[in-house]
Amino acid sequence: MRRSTAAALGTLTGAALILGVRLSVQPAAVPVAAAANGAAAEEPEIDEAGADATAPPAGKKPAGGKKTTAPAAPAGGKTAEAEEAGLKAGTYKGKAVQNPYGTVQVTIKISGGKISSANATAPTDGFSGTINPKAVEKLNASALKAQSADVDAVSGATFTSQSYSQSLQAALDKAGA
Amino acid sequence: MRHVEEVMGTVVSIELADDLPAPRLRELIDATCAWLHEVDARFSTYKPDSEVCRFRDGALRLQDCSDDLRFVLDRCADLWRDTDGYFDAYAGGPLDPSGYVKGWSVEVASRRLAEAGSLRHHIGAGGDIRMRGAGPGGRPWRVGVRHPWEADKLAWVLAVTDGAVATSGTYERGAHVWNPVAGRPASGLRSVTVTGPDLAVADAYATAALAMGEPGLSWLAARVAEGYESAAVTDDGRAFTSPGLPIA
Repeated sequence: MRRSTAAALGTLTGAALILGVRLSVQPAAVPVAAAANGAAAEEPEIDEAGADATAPPAGKKPAGGKKTTAPAAPAGGKTAEAEEAGLKAGTYKGKAVQNPYGTVQVTIKISGGKISSANATAPTDGFSGTINPKAVEKLNASALKAQSADVDAVSGATFTSQSYSQSLQAALDKAGA
Repeated sequence: MRHVEEVMGTVVSIELADDLPAPRLRELIDATCAWLHEVDARFSTYKPDSEVCRFRDGALRLQDCSDDLRFVLDRCADLWRDTDGYFDAYAGGPLDPSGYVKGWSVEVASRRLAEAGSLRHHIGAGGDIRMRGAGPGGRPWRVGVRHPWEADKLAWVLAVTDGAVATSGTYERGAHVWNPVAGRPASGLRSVTVTGPDLAVADAYATAALAMGEPGLSWLAARVAEGYESAAVTDDGRAFTSPGLPIA
């Protein structure tokens, strides 16, 4: 029992590789304070808002579980909820992991001593979220330069008859006429 | 000999570098301009009596259309498929093949010039250019790619002998770049330049990639196998070029 719960938390990092996974873990009968277990190698980061949002389930006792360890009060004045099931309430974020499709981070929410939700998110902003680096590897990334040079013609977004007069091409045509 | 002609809602710059008598060069330029005006009359979506408008409005049946229009419609359909729907002659609702017609008409003009004896020229229509043969002095034509923020600066200079350079960008006023797949204005890429053998295809590819936004970069990388190289700038100023881009 102990080992499986510890493993569940330990896999936060590993699970981060899975995009869009939705777990439905119900370790209702696991009365273990995983945080006190040394096997949870990755120190999970506790999200304050998540911890606040979590309320202890009213009148719900763990079925057939026995309370073994009272979790120590979390540092930083977090609401120390001595969950009956042993898992500290809160939202835990796994380590952000890079994969070929971007950065993925798994978040689980503990309430009532259970993992009440788990999901993986891929940020959509920035380079990693929108470009498949494998395909773009075939392109060279470079700094955009602004240069002046002697050219025969200028390629640019299609100008209208009106905007032509302000274009470099117009200046070029004038110079070459 | 150089010439500037206002036609098709834009300005066309023509330069013939052939060693031919001036009167002959003048004739060739005149013939080129006559063709472009003919295309404008037949394919303009602003002229109600153009062939395109009469077909669009149902006054002309497909089987009664000219070979040219049927070719253009076929190619638009091909490019719609080849670009996963991002090059769409119906993006704005009613048929508007202008995005293909401009490049195609310049391709035809360049081919006709070659048949008539001009083997060294370039024709630029509103920023999309077709080069043939060597430029002045026997060197490749030097084509500047407009900097997407600084109108008087260049982002790249390309050296092209035979081929086309087309650019689509969101910076030109009045340019409406629509993502026809998502049904909203395109965003993510500021400017896309495509080089390759055919101007109409290069232009359609540049337009499609711009409409795709940043995923267009991956799409452009896959076009290299077809002979189309590219240079793109994102909205936040990152620049990407394909390895075979003919940078001077």
